[in-house]
Amino acid sequence: MSSLIKASGVTKQFGSKLALDSVTFEINKGPPVALVGPNGAGKTTLFSLMCGYIFPSSGDLTLMGKRPGNAHLFGKLTALPQDAQLDPRFSIIHQLTFYGQLQGLSKVQAKKESARVLELVGMGDAANQRPKDLSHGMRKRVTISQALIGQPQIVMLDEATAGLDPVHAREVRELISALSNETTFILSSHDLSELERLCGQVLHLDNGKLTEHSALSQSTNNQGFVTLRLSQQYDDAEKVFSSLPSVRHVHKSQAKEYVIEYEKSDEAFDIQLLQCCHLQGWHYQQLINGHTLENQIFHKG
Amino acid sequence: MQLNTKRLVNIALFELVRLFLTKTGLLAVAVFSICWLLVLRYGIAEAVNLLSSPDFSQFIDYIFGAAGLSKLLTWPEAELAIYWLIAVYSFPIFCLFLCTDQTVGDRQRGTLRFLSLRATRMEIILGRFIGQVFILITLLLITLLATLAMLAYREPSLFLPGLLRSFLFLGYLIIAVMPFIALMSFINTFARSARLAFVVAILFFAGGNIIIGLLTWQLPALAILNYIFPGYQLADLAAQNAGLMLSIGVPLIQTMVLLIFAERVFARSSL
Repeated sequence: MSSLIKASGVTKQFGSKLALDSVTFEINKGPPVALVGPNGAGKTTLFSLMCGYIFPSSGDLTLMGKRPGNAHLFGKLTALPQDAQLDPRFSIIHQLTFYGQLQGLSKVQAKKESARVLELVGMGDAANQRPKDLSHGMRKRVTISQALIGQPQIVMLDEATAGLDPVHAREVRELISALSNETTFILSSHDLSELERLCGQVLHLDNGKLTEHSALSQSTNNQGFVTLRLSQQYDDAEKVFSSLPSVRHVHKSQAKEYVIEYEKSDEAFDIQLLQCCHLQGWHYQQLINGHTLENQIFHKG
Repeated sequence: MQLNTKRLVNIALFELVRLFLTKTGLLAVAVFSICWLLVLRYGIAEAVNLLSSPDFSQFIDYIFGAAGLSKLLTWPEAELAIYWLIAVYSFPIFCLFLCTDQTVGDRQRGTLRFLSLRATRMEIILGRFIGQVFILITLLLITLLATLAMLAYREPSLFLPGLLRSFLFLGYLIIAVMPFIALMSFINTFARSARLAFVVAILFFAGGNIIIGLLTWQLPALAILNYIFPGYQLADLAAQNAGLMLSIGVPLIQTMVLLIFAERVFARSSL
């Protein structure tokens, strides 16, 4: 796998505040990568560093072997920065065409390409409108479309689906999923289930420090995990699950949700578990093979 | 240095389009055209009548002589002489208004974040600067052509010599306004709004002149510091008394220095 982004000991300080503390990671070409963490954890700072909007206080950061902001990255790296807006005075197609031209397309090609990316986000009809005439969600979709112009190898989307209605958020997720064979997406979002669906690698930032996870993980050769979400609260659920023969440990991660650690054997544990629920007359909502991203990050104990 | 001519031209042309495709741009052009219409009709046309009136000739000679503008009176193209006097002072000031928002608005809105993934910061600064120069050339051409039309209407035989003189004016005026545009490019790199950029420019001229005046009073040799102010040569330029170095060299050097400062600050600033 070819390495797209390499960060080594990247630190960013704003005055006395340490926003990123010696962050090291590597992102390879492949499925989308999630960047998660609470507000103020340093996600936008890391995005801004990778896009070259700000500069690291120390450490080394390269994208496709070049420093952020290098002209070789133009057209190969695109982004949806958080809260960035297009110029409200020009039509959308005019601005996207301009961006396409800056990426090296001819005017005709750039116009065609702009129309294509607007169609991708379902905004083809708004091409001749100005951003100020659109709703917040529509503006967001238009700004996502600018990140898809040309054939970028890396697309960074900071809170891409925040503020979108569920239908359009789903469309954006489907779009990312469909394009992720050619393009490596780096996504930041507070919607962990969304990231879980899309991403393989997860970079978790907290207080400027970075840890890595995989979206669903933590199984070993002889030990497995499942996360079971029941449809309602059953008082003795923890006790009943613990009594199953191969179960090692049951942990109630949140209301109606249990993380069950079990010993791997020839028998399929998930079938056993669902049969148990059936016998008890319990309805379940979801059975996840492994830890959810949320539990990995917030319920380490 | 990462400078791509195609991207530079694209950014500059986008600026030019901003003037004619946006409502605010069109409004600026409309206000500018009306002001110049008034200047042409009631300023230049009336002044030409006065200049050619024998009753006022002595008085005009005295006024222009006292102001060091006697050379202008020798021109047969009186309309252009008056145009020159008005343009040489008004365009630089108008320029400060027009160029208040070169990058600051886009930086506040985040639009520069889209742009900086597709163009180097140097290309953005230079492209915007060149775009403003294009706009000023367009506006200067409009006013010059209108003045020429007035001249040709009064005396058709003066059209050709007037046309040649107009080309010279265009060159001198563009060079005269360039350091003003570059100054606004520089101020835009650190100002937080277009309005603030204008205030900083006014403070630079007003405050700077007071400080240098005081310094010169203590140490006359420091008068050389006046060269940091764009437009220092305008009085000599207006009177056609400026040599090549003063009328072309000084503003070009000022422009270059200000653009280098602008690029350096912009390259280090957060977007």
